[in-house]
Amino acid sequence: MAILVDKHSKVMVQGITGGAGSFHTRRMIEYGTVIVGGTSPGKGGQIVEGKPVFDTVAECVKETGADTSVIFLPAPFVKEAAIEAIRAGLKFVVVIPEHIPIHDMLLVRKEAVAHGCTVLGGNTAGIITPGEANLGIMPDIAFTPGRVGTVSRSGSITYYIADTLTRTGYGETTCVGLGGDPILGSTFDEILWMFEQDEKTRAVVMTGEIGGVYEERACDTITKMETPVIAMIGGIFAPPGKRMGHAGAIVEGKMGTAKEKLEALAEAGAHPARTFLDIPEILKKLKV
Amino acid sequence: MRLYEHEGKELFARFKIPIPAGEIALNTDEAKKIATEIGLPVVLKSQVLTGGRGKAGGIKVVDSPQAAEIVAGELFRLKINGFPVEKILVEPKLNIARELYIGVTIDRVNYKLVVIASSEGGVDIEETAAKTPEKIYRRSFDIDQEMYGFEAITIAKGIGLDSELIKTGSAIISGLFKLFKKYDAKLAEINPLVVTTDGKLIAADSRVSLDDDAVFRHPELAEMGIEKRHEEGEMTPREQKATEWGIPYLDLDGNIGMFPGGAGFGIMGNDFIHYYGGKPANFMDSGGGPTPERLARMLVLLDENPEVKAIFGARFGGISRCDDFAKGVIMFLKDHGLSKPMVCRMTGNMWQEGVRLFDEAKKQNPELFRKFEFHGIETPIEEISKRAVELAREAEGGW
Repeated sequence: MAILVDKHSKVMVQGITGGAGSFHTRRMIEYGTVIVGGTSPGKGGQIVEGKPVFDTVAECVKETGADTSVIFLPAPFVKEAAIEAIRAGLKFVVVIPEHIPIHDMLLVRKEAVAHGCTVLGGNTAGIITPGEANLGIMPDIAFTPGRVGTVSRSGSITYYIADTLTRTGYGETTCVGLGGDPILGSTFDEILWMFEQDEKTRAVVMTGEIGGVYEERACDTITKMETPVIAMIGGIFAPPGKRMGHAGAIVEGKMGTAKEKLEALAEAGAHPARTFLDIPEILKKLKV
Repeated sequence: MRLYEHEGKELFARFKIPIPAGEIALNTDEAKKIATEIGLPVVLKSQVLTGGRGKAGGIKVVDSPQAAEIVAGELFRLKINGFPVEKILVEPKLNIARELYIGVTIDRVNYKLVVIASSEGGVDIEETAAKTPEKIYRRSFDIDQEMYGFEAITIAKGIGLDSELIKTGSAIISGLFKLFKKYDAKLAEINPLVVTTDGKLIAADSRVSLDDDAVFRHPELAEMGIEKRHEEGEMTPREQKATEWGIPYLDLDGNIGMFPGGAGFGIMGNDFIHYYGGKPANFMDSGGGPTPERLARMLVLLDENPEVKAIFGARFGGISRCDDFAKGVIMFLKDHGLSKPMVCRMTGNMWQEGVRLFDEAKKQNPELFRKFEFHGIETPIEEISKRAVELAREAEGGW
């Protein structure tokens, strides 16, 4: 099994005619992802990578049965695109672009909750269920089907974790990128709970970073989980008060330091890892 | 993106929030002239993009034009948390009877806007919230909700405004809420909101932070001179250069040059180097899908830094492609040459093509690659981190 996407997911691409949209559509198809079509207002009727293009999401859903969308559009257009997808009845929307205005994302989240839709991102590398579906921009090479789920704020960290799990023979069920933007469509606790309910996921690796509130928020969920959680937090040695890339990654006073996050997660029952190589060691001890 | 106090107040005025009649002085002559015009005594307020001005001596009251000139001169020589004082806001001194607090911010846990108000202003609101939570009034709103008049009145009453001030008080609260939504704010605070001895309400200070990512839809901000800005205090010359090139870069105090891909591993790689006994010289982020030119520039920043003894490179091709990465590194080697040892791991999207480009360039000019060690997916990133620490140690003659 897997969470959120699998080989039965019918995936559409919003912004399919754009440079990034068409390039990654081809890559996703090559991976085996079931891409059924896409949208680009004013370009309905065209064909991209062998898939039909529609003017609206509703038309695409009607004609193709799409149930999932990946958005490849500039940040200013994401609010409308995501709300269109949510209102057209899609159950899962992945927002790849970064720098989505915060107020826009608050509105998208509200719509998603009201319609029972899960949104990932913005600024996510996407989600992959190895061997079944790859949504977004993740490189195939790191991933192989297996028994550990991963959830992370950062694309590059997701790749390194999967790389380690693949090399040591554990493989992955699903790898989820939450995204690096300050306001996210989904949070650690929500994704962890999905993994808890997935029979095939025998353990979860979550990696967070300094700043923000999302890691601490996962603690309550971790205490309720039977599936073991391995936690890594980036920024233990980050200098206080300096901003390191991700918008969320700023330490202001004591709030949200990496050390405190890791301690809180460990207290909730997560197994802390320092480097990627610690992960297989912990999995071995847990007999995963 | 933090605004200067006077910019925040300009926005307040647009929403009919009363502000003192102040003006900006860019030099001591102007400070003297404004002080004379607006009536003494005046407050000289250093305009810096950081908190704690008062404690740092950045706010002074003076009661003569001569004093305004002298004190302004002292303030212009001041640096507050690394921010040099370049502008001074000159305002008439207020006669304060009471100080209140009103703020609007985002509750990221619940995805709501939250209005916070308190009868205790002029102090650190987080401290008040921790010590005397009963003095804090909170109310949440959805992003698409408006604030009705009765709600603003309820908040105004909640912080103890009596019948005479309730109308202006609630108008200020709803004005601040409108400002927050209209300008895509992350934070909008009036602290203190002053009740003067003659019974007027006035915003004595402003703290407004806007969402950089939404500035594009507020062209009127640029007309006011409000544009995207650097908010990290004084930059080192290298940070300045990186900013001009559009590269997120921070100088740190170690000796290992960090050349990672995304910000996530940029942060984590910093930790890894520490775990293996080294210290990074910098933080850097290539951004998604960097061009070869950008990557070559990133390496220039490291190679020309005398503190850097070895370079640690990591590339996991996602939206960034390994062939572009190889092109960038080769471009740098050819144009600039590598004066320090560098160890690098590359895998991910288009890695075969990246390897081919490296092999070909090396065949043509092996000398360029003399100090460059290159690894692929078979070597864990931890090994590369260790190797970088080793190389730096060797370059320093062992320690």
